[in-house]
Amino acid sequence: MEVGHAEDPSSRAGRGFPLVPVLTGLAAVVAGLPLVGIVIAALSGPGADIAARDVWRYALTSAWLALLVGAITAVVGSIAAWLVVMYSFPARRFFSWALALPLAAPAFALAYAYADLFDVAGPLRMWMRAGLGFDLPLEIRSLEGAAFVLSCAFYPYVFLAMRAAFLSQAVSALEAAHVLGSSKADAFFRIALPLARPALAAGVALAIMETLADYGALQFLSVQTLTTGVVRAWSVYGSTAGAVQFALPLLGAAALLLWVERRGRAGRRFDSASTRWRSLPETTLRGVRAAGAFLFCLVLLAVGLLLPVGWLAWTSLRISPEWSRLIQSGANTLGLGLVGAVVTVMLATALALGARRMPLAVRLASLGYATPGAAMAIGLLIPASAVWTWFPGAASTFWAGLILLIYAYAARLMAAALEPVDAGLSKVTPAMIWASRSLGQSEASTAWAVQLPIARGALFTAGLVVFIDVLKELPATLILRPFNFDTLAVIASNYALDERLGQAGWPSLLILAISIPAVIWLSGKVAGSRPGH
Amino acid sequence: MRAGMIMAASAMLALVACGEAADRPAAPATDRDGGVVNLYTARHYDSDLALYDQFTAATGIQINRIEGNADQLIARMTSEGAASPADVFVAADAGALWRAQQADLLQTIQSQTLDTRIPANLRDPDGKWFGFMRRARVVAYDSAKVQPTEIDTYEKLASPRFAGKLCVRSADSIYNLSLTGALIEAWGPQKAGEWVKGVVANMARPPQGGDRDQIRAVGAGVCEVALTNSYYYLRMASGEDAGDREITQRVALGFPSLDGQGAHVNISGGGVTANAPNRDNAIKLLEFFASSAAQEHAARYNNEFPASTDVTPPPPVDAYAAFAAHPMAVSAFARRQPEAQSMMSDAGWK
Repeated sequence: MEVGHAEDPSSRAGRGFPLVPVLTGLAAVVAGLPLVGIVIAALSGPGADIAARDVWRYALTSAWLALLVGAITAVVGSIAAWLVVMYSFPARRFFSWALALPLAAPAFALAYAYADLFDVAGPLRMWMRAGLGFDLPLEIRSLEGAAFVLSCAFYPYVFLAMRAAFLSQAVSALEAAHVLGSSKADAFFRIALPLARPALAAGVALAIMETLADYGALQFLSVQTLTTGVVRAWSVYGSTAGAVQFALPLLGAAALLLWVERRGRAGRRFDSASTRWRSLPETTLRGVRAAGAFLFCLVLLAVGLLLPVGWLAWTSLRISPEWSRLIQSGANTLGLGLVGAVVTVMLATALALGARRMPLAVRLASLGYATPGAAMAIGLLIPASAVWTWFPGAASTFWAGLILLIYAYAARLMAAALEPVDAGLSKVTPAMIWASRSLGQSEASTAWAVQLPIARGALFTAGLVVFIDVLKELPATLILRPFNFDTLAVIASNYALDERLGQAGWPSLLILAISIPAVIWLSGKVAGSRPGH
Repeated sequence: MRAGMIMAASAMLALVACGEAADRPAAPATDRDGGVVNLYTARHYDSDLALYDQFTAATGIQINRIEGNADQLIARMTSEGAASPADVFVAADAGALWRAQQADLLQTIQSQTLDTRIPANLRDPDGKWFGFMRRARVVAYDSAKVQPTEIDTYEKLASPRFAGKLCVRSADSIYNLSLTGALIEAWGPQKAGEWVKGVVANMARPPQGGDRDQIRAVGAGVCEVALTNSYYYLRMASGEDAGDREITQRVALGFPSLDGQGAHVNISGGGVTANAPNRDNAIKLLEFFASSAAQEHAARYNNEFPASTDVTPPPPVDAYAAFAAHPMAVSAFARRQPEAQSMMSDAGWK
């Protein structure tokens, strides 16, 4: 979606039905409607009587949290990706896919696990005080604790994006750096990192947007962000208008962020001069360096997955769950995840293909992802309300509820799919598109025959991210789902609200069980996506 | 790959279609044989599912349910408007019922059964909602450090005796809001405001966690007293977690009194929605919730106190059931939640 070229092949009028523009428009409407809904709702009535002091506190907490999570995920994710792509050390192959696994763990599940594990009255700290005579000065239910938990949950976004970027980098640039006397670290900072900047921006943007939109984890950790404002205005003051008004500054901030990010990228297209793709040069680490790399990856995997999931399993296994309810919800979750992923990726692809023509639409579509989930739920009620009013029977039918839910996922998660799809399509050079168009292919058939096959690794990544996000999705599912229909995330959240953590562990673990194979499979696809392989 | 994706999509649509169609009536929410009631409920206890099955077994009426946060359900009903399939709205806090009433989402019900079974202070004077179960907002205290007489009024929690020794959850907790609302109703804003400031001054740590976390913090020695709903303590004392049971050996439950008239009591209750398509069944469901059997079931499995005076709760609830409950009308504090929130926020109760 780079826009640095004066003559853009896709802007040439095509023959026949303008399929791509129509699909792009449709996708933009899907993603835009709830945002319009938010603005309408915000203007619909007076706000809630919440003190300005509290509003500032919420906003500052949100900002700090976004900053901390952005910084931690950027550093940790990039280092991990660089290590597994460029170096050879023990268990490197394992880590190259396993480090993506925390993506399978819902942030709320990590929050339950860490809050419980390090609870002041939990077995660990009770034992430490009694047995060792000292206590950990640790508070997971704090800004720092929340930043830690969310970074554990979201660093794989950066890791995956950076791994794909490092894998597809040209050997020639690295060789040139080497010939000119650069060390490997130099090559990282001066060549690989700048070249991978779009991927870094995309990964960090996802992590930050997930942080801002988080619904379950922060509520559980008692960290009061703008989402708290949304919920407080809604639940205590009964004001949906006041609730979504909290989302407006966040929407503005997200829009600004996206604009800055796009602008930073504009005109900087890094077309590879070389068409020769060779294996990346690998450095074999030995001794302390090998141990260091191994330990870094191990600790990352441990805090992101093994420790919290192990603790959840430990607390849950002592409790017998309601199996029939879990299995039914598991089937619902799996079906929704797959359909939601396919629909969302198709819409995001349509959006990305037409992005040259409608850059504004693309930016707007990304905003839903950064909007607090609770506010987005209110926004989604506006299009839903239209359906319910125009088709009075629809409010009660199962299929209407299901379709609305899929729609809600597409609207909420469009940006998650858009970033990787966009990055993948940007690998298609204008020259390739020109070649196809000059052979008489339409815009749509060029997309079908040239752009999509080249971007296929990215489409898989997009599908993975959306699928897993749907499994974890809460606010839209809570408010829009049809009768007698629960997902695993809903059950987990209900148990957690009811303060039954052992019971909440089961659905959380099932979400993991469903998404881990997907993460592994698609993580492998990313590894195999190096051009020429 | 493209073909693969399309195939996967169609396969999954088919999977969802089969899976759903197999175990679901085609149009679950419509009243086909007079045998359906649609329930929007903010209660989400597993034990309630067994209660719904009992209702279906007794009446032949199928229950379709959506569980969710009370205010999300209110927003959904508002958006659905006249087309809403909801027949019954249930919430676990009087404030949420009051907000539903304010949004014109509930209708007046005349039911001899409900009026006789539910005490007047636990239902809306206009018959728009009824409380079926009671939860007392009381005190968990360290029995080695605190005498029962030191926590026998709510005032004492805000006294310097407990400086740095009180654990509370956030001001966003509806149960704290309802308690503060009740204090405003009983004492007026001046004295209630002083109480809130006293509580903030006594906090052992910033408000965090749920009620169970407050009880556990007392057990861990973080604080000596904590505000909690009664059923969390009872559940810990009789639950599956050995650590929790051990904690309740050292932490006791005390019932402070408001103006000598008893402890603050909130309700879990419901009403019939304004546009209920299955109004008769909705009333039957409410009357079922008010029955002795249903109240006893909820007391047994969720450790709440029954609303009706003639229901004898099973253990472990029975040991506490004789507590003095303040006779204040729950509708009186329900409407004071926004005022309570502002007061708590001003005092620095996060």
